[in-house]
This record gives sequence, C-alpha cells and structure tokens, in this order.
Amino acid sequence: MKRTLLQIFFLGIGALVVAGGCALPFLYPTQTLWYKTGWEKAVLQTGHLFGVFAFLALVLQLLFGSRGALLERAFGVSLVMRLHRANGQILPLLVLCHMALVLLPEGLANLPLGLTFWPEMVGGAALLAIVVQVVAAQVRQRFSLDYRRWRSGHRWLGYTVLLLAAVHVLFVADSFASGLPRLALLLLVGMMALRLVYRMVSSRR
Amino acid sequence: MKLLQLAVAVLLVAVLGGSPLSAGARTWQIDPAHTNFYFTVDHIYSKVRGHFNTYSGAINFDPQRLGESSFSFKIATDSIDTNLAKRDKHLQSADFFDAGSFPEMTFASTKVVDAGQGRYDVHGTFTVKGVAYDLVLPLTFAGVKEHPAMKGKEVAGFNGTLVLDRLAYKIGDGKLYKLGVVGKDVEVLVTIEALADK
Repeated sequence: MKRTLLQIFFLGIGALVVAGGCALPFLYPTQTLWYKTGWEKAVLQTGHLFGVFAFLALVLQLLFGSRGALLERAFGVSLVMRLHRANGQILPLLVLCHMALVLLPEGLANLPLGLTFWPEMVGGAALLAIVVQVVAAQVRQRFSLDYRRWRSGHRWLGYTVLLLAAVHVLFVADSFASGLPRLALLLLVGMMALRLVYRMVSSRR
Repeated sequence: MKLLQLAVAVLLVAVLGGSPLSAGARTWQIDPAHTNFYFTVDHIYSKVRGHFNTYSGAINFDPQRLGESSFSFKIATDSIDTNLAKRDKHLQSADFFDAGSFPEMTFASTKVVDAGQGRYDVHGTFTVKGVAYDLVLPLTFAGVKEHPAMKGKEVAGFNGTLVLDRLAYKIGDGKLYKLGVVGKDVEVLVTIEALADK
C-alpha cells in the first residue's frame, strides 16, 4: 500500500512537471518566435519543446542515477537502473532533435558559432559531455572498467552537464530571463544541488 | 634632333602628368573609423538602429571634375550589427540578407550630378542579393580642409540620407511587415570621411 502511494506520488509529480514543461514554450514563447511564421514557427516551437524534454530527461537521469531511497522503495533498484540506462540513451537524441529543430529555421549555413553566441556554445558543450557519458558507460560495460572509479567520474560529469544545461537555458532563451520559468528552473537546479550536497555529506559519515 | 624631341616629350609628360589638370578627379581614401552605413527601421512602435562593421570603398571626387568622379562601396552583409547577436544572426539569414549566399552588397556609381547647394546626386548600381538596381545616393559634400589631427593630409566629408523600401530589394518577404512587427522603409545614413595627401 505504502509502495503504491509512493509510486502515485512520484508519477503525479512527474506528470505535473512534464505538463508544466510542455506548456512552457507556449505560455512563455521566446522573442525569436515573433519573427517566424508558418512551418518555421512550428519547427522552432517544436525545437523549444524538445529542449524542455531534454532538460527534464536530464534531471530525471540524475534522479535515477542518484538512486534515492524513496525512489528505490517505490520502483525497486532494478527498474530504476533500467530506466537510468534507457533514459541515458534517449537523452542525447532529445538534445540532438532540440538542436536540429532550433537551428533549421535560421538556416544551417547560418549557425550561431563563436564567442558572441557563448550560451549556444555552452549548450553544445553539454551535448558533448552527454555523448561522452553515454559512450563511457558503453565502454565500461564492454571492457569491464573499474566500477568505483568510473562511477565517480560519471556522477561528477552528470552534475556538470546539468550545470551547463542550466546556464545554456538561462542565457539562451529570453523566456527564462525572469518570472515563473526562471523560478522553476532555478528551483529544479537548486533541488538537484541540495541532493548532491546531501549525498556528499551523508557519504562522508 | 630626335634627342631634343624626346627630351621635350619627357618634359611635357613630367609637367602635365603630375598636374591636377590631367589627373582626373582626386582619389580619396575612406577613413573606416569615421565612415559608416547606418540604418534605422521601425519595430512595432520603436526604432531599431544598426550599422555594418565591414565595408570598403573607393572615392574619386572633385567638384570641378564630376565627369571623372566616382564612388564605389562594398558592404559585408554578415557584418550587420544591431547590438543584439541573435537579431543580427536572423538578419543574416535567408529571411533577410541571406549572407551565406550573398556575402556582399555593392554600390558602383555611373555618374555624379551637381544638385545644387552642396548636394551631389550619385547615380549608380546597387547590387543586393545578387540583383542589380538603379539607385541615386544623394550626398551632401561637407567640404575639404586640412586634417586637424593628421599632418600632410586633407579630409573630405560627405553625408547622405535616403529611405529604401527593403521589400523592393527582397530584404524580407513582407510577412513581418504585414504582421506589423518590422517596418519596410529603412532610413539609411551614409556618412563618410575620406583622406588624401595634401
């Protein structure tokens, strides 16, 4: 009974966060959408939606990876780890879709590269780090690398990706410059930071 | 006798060749720090201003020799600067200048006409997005004087404003104009300082 309640709690919270995330590009559209019409607008908005999905998948990935006691009690260790692996493979695809759909309407010959577009570059670095994470996880399984050493690097790079992604979102999209979207993002990142600090403190005891 | 003829010919070339009477219009070098192509366009209610950071040009001008005077400019479309990187990127895209396919817009004069009161109408060909259009650039000649900060140099000044309908030059397809977001008339300010040896 208690396990079912926990499952309902987590699924309910997850559904709320996903619903809120889906509404975000429509309730708080970026100014870039003002200048797009027709299919280009639809593509750009879909790209923004994929960006939200990717960010939420990243948060979920860290939650699965951190193997919280409550989460494990609700779904079991095996399922949580299976979800972590599956989500880890979906995540780069979501980011790639986000990138392609956002860049396409501006033209692939007109990419936002260089220091002027540093928030976009930070997003690119986050994608690169995600790919490294996925490849490293595959390599570790295939070559049976030392688990403890790999896990430490995997964890820290995971939180680094979240930091990069948060900086990317905060500075690339004017929707996150103020108001509810900014608050929600900072709250989400803050909660993950607290989770990390808690884990570090509890592992030292 | 032949030697004497040759000496006279050399002397004539030396004297007349170096004189202003035979040199055509005076050549001026554009001072890039004090020359620019500024523009202003409506955005709903406000005005958005911008300029181009990369350009080059050649000026041959003498009010007494308008037949030999000429102006030509090359402007790099990817150097558009409205103080907002994302907007600049959008202006470089196929929606506006299509800088990837058309990296330059050019103006080459065909004749310079004295319009009176210090104004000169520079008739020429304005090429933008690969299409050539006739354009008259009205320039007010500010004058020539010794450069206050550069010894041995003279400075000439020109200023001109004109309004261009960007849609007539295919800078945009009109959707944003119809939506009332971006205006179609672009106010252009051409301001030039050009230098020449005294």
